[in-house]
Amino acid sequence: MSGGAQQIDWAVVTPPLVMACTAVVVLLVDAFAGGPRTRGQALVPAALTVAGVVATSVYTVWALARDVTQGQVRQTFCVDSALNGPAPCSFAVDQVTLVFWAIVLFGALVVALLGTAAVAEGRTPQGEWHFLLLSSATGAMVMAASRDLITLVVALEVVSLPAFGMVGLRLGDRRASEASMKFFLVSVVSSAVTLMGISFVYGATGSVFLSQIDVALTTGSGPREVAVIGVVLTIVGLAFKVAAVPFHMWVPDTYVGAPIAVAAYLSVVSKAAGFVGLLLVLAYGLPDLASAWSPVVGVLAALTMTVGNVVALWQQHAVRLLAWSSVAQAGYILVPFGAVAAASREEMSSVLSRSAGYLAMYAVVNLCAFGVATVVGTRYPAQRLVDYRGLVREEPLAGWGLAFALVALAGLPPGVIGLLAKVVVFSSAAGPATWLAIVMAVNVAIGLVYYARWLMELFRPAETAGASTYDVPNGVGAAVGMTLTAAVVFSVVPGLLLDPVLAALAP
Amino acid sequence: MIPVLLNGLVAAPVAFALLAALASRRERLAVGLAVLGGFVTFAWSVWLAVAHDGRLGSAGSTVDVLWLGALDVHWKLGIDGISGPLVLMTTLVFVTALFSLRRYAPENAEGGPRRTVSLAVLLLVIEAGVLGAFVALDMVLFFVFFEVALIPMWFVINTWGDAHDPATRRRAATRFLIFTVTGSALMLVGFLLVRTDAGTFDIVRIATSYTPAGATAVAASALVALGLAVKTPLWPLHIWLPDAHSKAPTVGSVVLAAVLLKLGTYGFLRFWMPVTSPEWVLVPLVAALGVVGIVYAALACLVQTDLKRLIAYSSVGHMGFVVLAAATFTVGGVQGAVFASVAHGLITGLLFFLAGAIKDRYGTTDLARLTVLYGKVPRLGGVFAFAAMASLGLPGLAGFWGEMLAIRSAVDQAAALPEVTYRWLAFIAALGVILTSAYFLALMRGMLQGGPVKPVTQAEATVEVVADTVPLGEAAVRDVAGTEWLTWAPLLALTLLLGVVPGLLLAPVADAARAFLGGLG
Repeated sequence: MSGGAQQIDWAVVTPPLVMACTAVVVLLVDAFAGGPRTRGQALVPAALTVAGVVATSVYTVWALARDVTQGQVRQTFCVDSALNGPAPCSFAVDQVTLVFWAIVLFGALVVALLGTAAVAEGRTPQGEWHFLLLSSATGAMVMAASRDLITLVVALEVVSLPAFGMVGLRLGDRRASEASMKFFLVSVVSSAVTLMGISFVYGATGSVFLSQIDVALTTGSGPREVAVIGVVLTIVGLAFKVAAVPFHMWVPDTYVGAPIAVAAYLSVVSKAAGFVGLLLVLAYGLPDLASAWSPVVGVLAALTMTVGNVVALWQQHAVRLLAWSSVAQAGYILVPFGAVAAASREEMSSVLSRSAGYLAMYAVVNLCAFGVATVVGTRYPAQRLVDYRGLVREEPLAGWGLAFALVALAGLPPGVIGLLAKVVVFSSAAGPATWLAIVMAVNVAIGLVYYARWLMELFRPAETAGASTYDVPNGVGAAVGMTLTAAVVFSVVPGLLLDPVLAALAP
Repeated sequence: MIPVLLNGLVAAPVAFALLAALASRRERLAVGLAVLGGFVTFAWSVWLAVAHDGRLGSAGSTVDVLWLGALDVHWKLGIDGISGPLVLMTTLVFVTALFSLRRYAPENAEGGPRRTVSLAVLLLVIEAGVLGAFVALDMVLFFVFFEVALIPMWFVINTWGDAHDPATRRRAATRFLIFTVTGSALMLVGFLLVRTDAGTFDIVRIATSYTPAGATAVAASALVALGLAVKTPLWPLHIWLPDAHSKAPTVGSVVLAAVLLKLGTYGFLRFWMPVTSPEWVLVPLVAALGVVGIVYAALACLVQTDLKRLIAYSSVGHMGFVVLAAATFTVGGVQGAVFASVAHGLITGLLFFLAGAIKDRYGTTDLARLTVLYGKVPRLGGVFAFAAMASLGLPGLAGFWGEMLAIRSAVDQAAALPEVTYRWLAFIAALGVILTSAYFLALMRGMLQGGPVKPVTQAEATVEVVADTVPLGEAAVRDVAGTEWLTWAPLLALTLLLGVVPGLLLAPVADAARAFLGGLG
């Protein structure tokens, strides 16, 4: 590599930098302002976080969106090529990156708003919590832009490490600490496995840059068997992150132990980071080995959705049910990965874009469901399903929000966006992996049972009819309103969400 | 003009559902709005039926807007002689169902009142979904509309269903939901497989230019058939039906039997026939399952002890005729399928209304306890006898022509189909007609005229006294009321009219079938 000064395209790295700087500002403001004396002061970190996320989004749209959506790829941190071909770069913003940035930023915004539910309780240090949230989101953004394995692993760690803190930050909550510890141990193991896999891939191909790995494998220089072992190990490591069966054991306990806002974060942003990792490694770096990894991921997908749905059938605890449902949903998202064994490169990108499309839908409606769980949690910390009885009458926004989120997760009208996202995923598997599509069809029916059970509770008359006794924090109300509005709008005009996302990978 | 009418047909029930929901604090007004919505939709569908020319191909006769570009899914709606009669039948049945709600007071089973207005709103949503499915010409769009009715129907059964037996009611509702969703998800996989072969979701283009062949095409056709077989239902996938129909409230049973089952039969005509080649062994198999259903349902009906379950099982038999007709791949078959579908909608809708009326009066639909209705409520008994005669296929009433055409087209099936097999199927189906007559006549003998006198043991007598909340026969029971006459009159009249002048329906269907499915014999 050449040692000269590098040209850095600052416009490309600014969005994650803004997030990181906001994180530092939040921490410093909190540290120097002293303890909050009023409820309004306690909301300052959340407000700063929201401002940071909004600023990042605005900047991204202003500086990058136009170029990138026209098909340009903005790259930086490039090295002079030792091999032939174009200079490999570590950091690139293309349409896929933008899609995942949008998911991460939207998720971080909603989670920051949901976090305000903890203010009233006063047990969670707000400054630190929002610092960790922003740091982790920064990691997720870097991850979506990383184009070499080292950056990718570092970004993965930046996503995970603050998340442990967020899970266990509530003072004096022993279950949260236990959840945090469990999550930490699993995550560390999975990182180690990923690293191992990556080092195999590096050993087999002689490069850490995804583009050069691809070149090395296509030209056949390097032992493929070693690379295959590396791929399998990398998949295992990332499967922990996306909570695919059999690497899902940590999910229910961690979600239940953590504050609900953090569970929402783990189920959407952290999961999205895992998926983008899989997408980058498999589709950008190793498309040549698709015949090896696609069947593996296909089996993982089938297992994940089946186990997730079947176990969710017995759940009586709302967050635990959402945890298992998110396991099952991860299975649906993985389906397109299992259907590209024999695909050409163009087909592969177009098929894998279906995953991103489903993930985008899932992010919106799942955040909505977690938002309503936060509302109900303010009155019923036990989160039993029967606590949701009569919610539609008592708290119509929350009740209808959850009802809509549940039918969308189940994939039925009026949640048309959920239904079409399922169609999109089905369409990737029908043909190349029809067995997987049939497994998924059966799973959709199983999933419906528990979503319907919960739905029924919402519409049953409340035990004690009367005025609502919910005290919904404004931030949580805004989060539910935002996600519900998005879900409804996307259901009426599904192209608004699915067309750009699906076009991103298939130009 | 036609595009506006088509969009409006789907939008009208939704708009009135929203209005009724907004007015739900004033119950009478809201229910009135919902009933008005039913009438407006009916009038709208008549206008549409008069305005359209019965073909799908001609310019300006369809709506076609790109809905989801990434998958090339179009918002494509159109109506022809195949869907037109079903649309009219649907809107008419919904008018009667909504109208009957005006005097409906739901029972307080558990935990507070079930409000009539919510039921009316759900019915309108179901109507929008069904009408959308009948006019959708894009496979994915059809699937979307197909699913619209599910959750509302589940609520209808689960919330307003049989108040005396909550556990069974919930099981029935959930079973209905799971069966239907599994079926439709498999159907979707089938549609997507068709698309990998044919390259489009547009069923009109598929019908004109796609020749199904090869393993993928067979798998696709089988999956579509499987999904539709659950909905229709086809033996042995009918097991969700008797419970769902018998536990649903009266309007729920009416809508389920008269309208929702037609989504399955219509799906066979519109979305299965174009993607299926009559040369495959799959086709006689489907026909055979239909015939098994005819015989099985008739035998099951002979031993039913509950009126609503009996009517529910009779639906399985009638649907068997429809599927047999469709699986002959002839114009006559399509005619028979559409005619039998419409006739079944009118007659079985009426039968479920009557069963509901009997249940309102006597608090039970247990056949062992219902006797001598001719003596107690002569007019109600008379109407029931009329409906039962129509259902068993008495010539001169609507039930006859569909089944006659089904059997005739099975004898005279498409050239590619195995002749001997179909002759046998026609023979067995004709046997089924006799069995159908047998159980309906037994029903009339037992329920209307007074059944065989059974020896009553001491124990049974005690149970009877305890269980009997409404004393049968002794109290003065109202005969058919004015509102009921109004509700049933259109169904009665059309049953008679279509029986006497079947050409009203058969001619447009034949034109549309030739236009849509080109190569039919």
